[in-house]
Amino acid sequence: MKKLLTSILSLGVVCSAALAAEPVITAVKVSESLDAVKADSAVWSKAKFETVTLYPQTAIEFNDKKANELTAKVKAKKAQVAALHDGKNIAVLVKWADKTKDLQQCLTSTSYSDGFAVQFAGATKKAEPLPYIGMGSSGRPVVVHLQKATEKVYEPNGNKDVAMQINRQQTGVFGKELADFDAKVAALANTDYERVFVGEGFRSLTEIKDGSVKSNSAMAHGPAGWSGSLVRPLKDEYVKLGGTVPVSIAVWDGSNMGRNGLKNLSSWVAINLEGQKPNAAMVAELSTDAKGNAAKGKEAAMMNGCNGCHQLEATDAKSFMGPALHNVGGYSTAAYLRESILKPSAVVVPGYNRNAHANTPWYNIEKGKRVSTMTDFSFLDKATVEDIVAYLKTLKAEVE
Amino acid sequence: MSKRQLAMVMDLNKCIGCQTCTVACKTQWTNRNGREYMYWNNVETYPGTGYPKNWMELGGGFDAAGDLQPGVIPNLEADYGVPWDYNYESLMGGQADSNNFHPHVSPTWGPNWDEDEGTGMFPQDNYFFYLPRICNHCTNPGCLSACPRDAIFKREEDGVVLVDLDRCQGYRYCIAGCPYKKIYFNPKISKSEKCILCFPRVEQGLPPACAQQCVGRIRFVGFLDDEESQVHKLVHKYKVALGLRSDYGTQPNVYYIPPTESPAKFDAEGKIIEGSTRLPIEELEKLFGPEVHGAIKTLKAEMQKRKETGVSELMDLLIAYQHSDMFRLDNNYYQQVAKENKRNPLAPVDTRYIAGKFTKAGGHH
Repeated sequence: MKKLLTSILSLGVVCSAALAAEPVITAVKVSESLDAVKADSAVWSKAKFETVTLYPQTAIEFNDKKANELTAKVKAKKAQVAALHDGKNIAVLVKWADKTKDLQQCLTSTSYSDGFAVQFAGATKKAEPLPYIGMGSSGRPVVVHLQKATEKVYEPNGNKDVAMQINRQQTGVFGKELADFDAKVAALANTDYERVFVGEGFRSLTEIKDGSVKSNSAMAHGPAGWSGSLVRPLKDEYVKLGGTVPVSIAVWDGSNMGRNGLKNLSSWVAINLEGQKPNAAMVAELSTDAKGNAAKGKEAAMMNGCNGCHQLEATDAKSFMGPALHNVGGYSTAAYLRESILKPSAVVVPGYNRNAHANTPWYNIEKGKRVSTMTDFSFLDKATVEDIVAYLKTLKAEVE
Repeated sequence: MSKRQLAMVMDLNKCIGCQTCTVACKTQWTNRNGREYMYWNNVETYPGTGYPKNWMELGGGFDAAGDLQPGVIPNLEADYGVPWDYNYESLMGGQADSNNFHPHVSPTWGPNWDEDEGTGMFPQDNYFFYLPRICNHCTNPGCLSACPRDAIFKREEDGVVLVDLDRCQGYRYCIAGCPYKKIYFNPKISKSEKCILCFPRVEQGLPPACAQQCVGRIRFVGFLDDEESQVHKLVHKYKVALGLRSDYGTQPNVYYIPPTESPAKFDAEGKIIEGSTRLPIEELEKLFGPEVHGAIKTLKAEMQKRKETGVSELMDLLIAYQHSDMFRLDNNYYQQVAKENKRNPLAPVDTRYIAGKFTKAGGHH
């Protein structure tokens, strides 16, 4: 009975996936400068919003017991995404639902903040395949702009004890008291948390601290949830954006103890810069569905023993050997999935230090590089590979 | 595994629970900048809840198959304790609220909340002993394995486990992964911090602050592969120093001489029960593994030998006539390392933790 139910469920997923293609976002060209744009700026009324789905990252399970319990039930989220450009800068606005406002706390060890990030592909000549969605891959760098939710709240005991909170909006407090308050906030280091990283793979993520990237991001919480804005130059030493800009979006929910991999993220989404020639091949790659036969692909996946090392469906047994794939269809491009089947070492999904699961070594280090222990499936015929890709594209959580 | 390994041995028979080590460490490293609640070195009463509260039950470490076990991150207020202060200033200044001497928050928990409680019934069979704890600078660290950012590393030169604060992003998986809960979250800078085995002191030939200040002279420090070192003799030659909870699979490098001596129990009339001992061997076995039987046997035999013949290298070692006899830090070693690597001998031997080092690099492989 359980088996039957699973197959009915997966059939349902196959059908619904066929309908959902990723949107193409148009970055509207505006004449005003975007330098100082925030989430609530008036200029956003000119933007065109598209719905992007953000899937829970489940490739790697982390070792935080409570967080794992909380995130086990996380579903895919819908986000409204829009973009603008002024010829020099690109601005991205992300709106997503989150009932609770979780701020970066400065006196607790167990609280986590909401946040969002926008990932750009680094400057590379080859457009395909795009960098691995999980912070890039070797030779294919990404730049990630991260903003965590912060607010100037001075909380003497870190208890979320509202009666004990003092905040800047209390108009009874001004002059020297306000200066004292600001000093206390500063002493708690409860300041803006905006970071820019460059990465060539999850482990390699490195903060850019030398000011070589301009970044202006902000978050605002309202009844509908968060709005997060980011403005960055179209061109700098890390990225050269033009025509079609691939971006991916991630959001974190602090009340689910979300941080780093415990997040919802989108696949690469195409943003066409208005007034520039789009990259038709990239737009097609990112916005159309896989052409293979998913049902045949599922059979082929079973025949080739994928489930020996990978958790394929959410209901399957967990394995430390390979990354879990039950959301891989949500946040991966077909090109990435194809590449992983044919050249498993092109991207070794970075995980823990191998010591973490010494009995299931999923990679070896050869000449300083991680080489996957996965078999090379390049012997499969092209149609079968496309079928498996189509099947993998159906593996994703339902939407909240 | 590192090329060499620094180790510490603590003789639990000599620990008097004075917390001098705790204070030495606190004033040296953790009384500021978001570390106020942390005790890189603490001394807890065993049996007791420990620090943080019930740390032995919070997961982490490895199972027999070598898989990292999930763990729980302790809560600052409930499990570590908010470091409270008193209203000294207003009391001394004769200000309005100076009538009461009171803490600035109502404390609900703190380190050593249950100090000296122990267990059993006074006076029949109650007992406790002190258990000083620092980071174990493990050979297979749970914190290092748990970090998805490669922000934790073990120095090749001496096996000291450090956090690269430039790479750390405050995810806290390391805290879940450490079975000893000896790595802490600094909420002010949103990064993890831990005992650094006083490496800036050690590199200059000085023992760690906790060991230097120890009035009971319980702490030996040296390199495990140095056959002349006290730690080598206690761990490998006499096998009387054992790792704490080695069953967690991290291969700790802080070793303990188990407590061997405890008074006899009293019966209902308050008379000594001959041949009894208050310290249950099962408890020692839980902490130090089955090897504890052999260690106690050796210690007792050497004690007897010393009484009979006046000669015992082991007893001389443990007595530590001169405090300097407890450390063999071989300070030329670090200078040699610097020379081999063409580094300034005054600079730290490993600079990976220095902020900003990787800013421009595309990757960290």
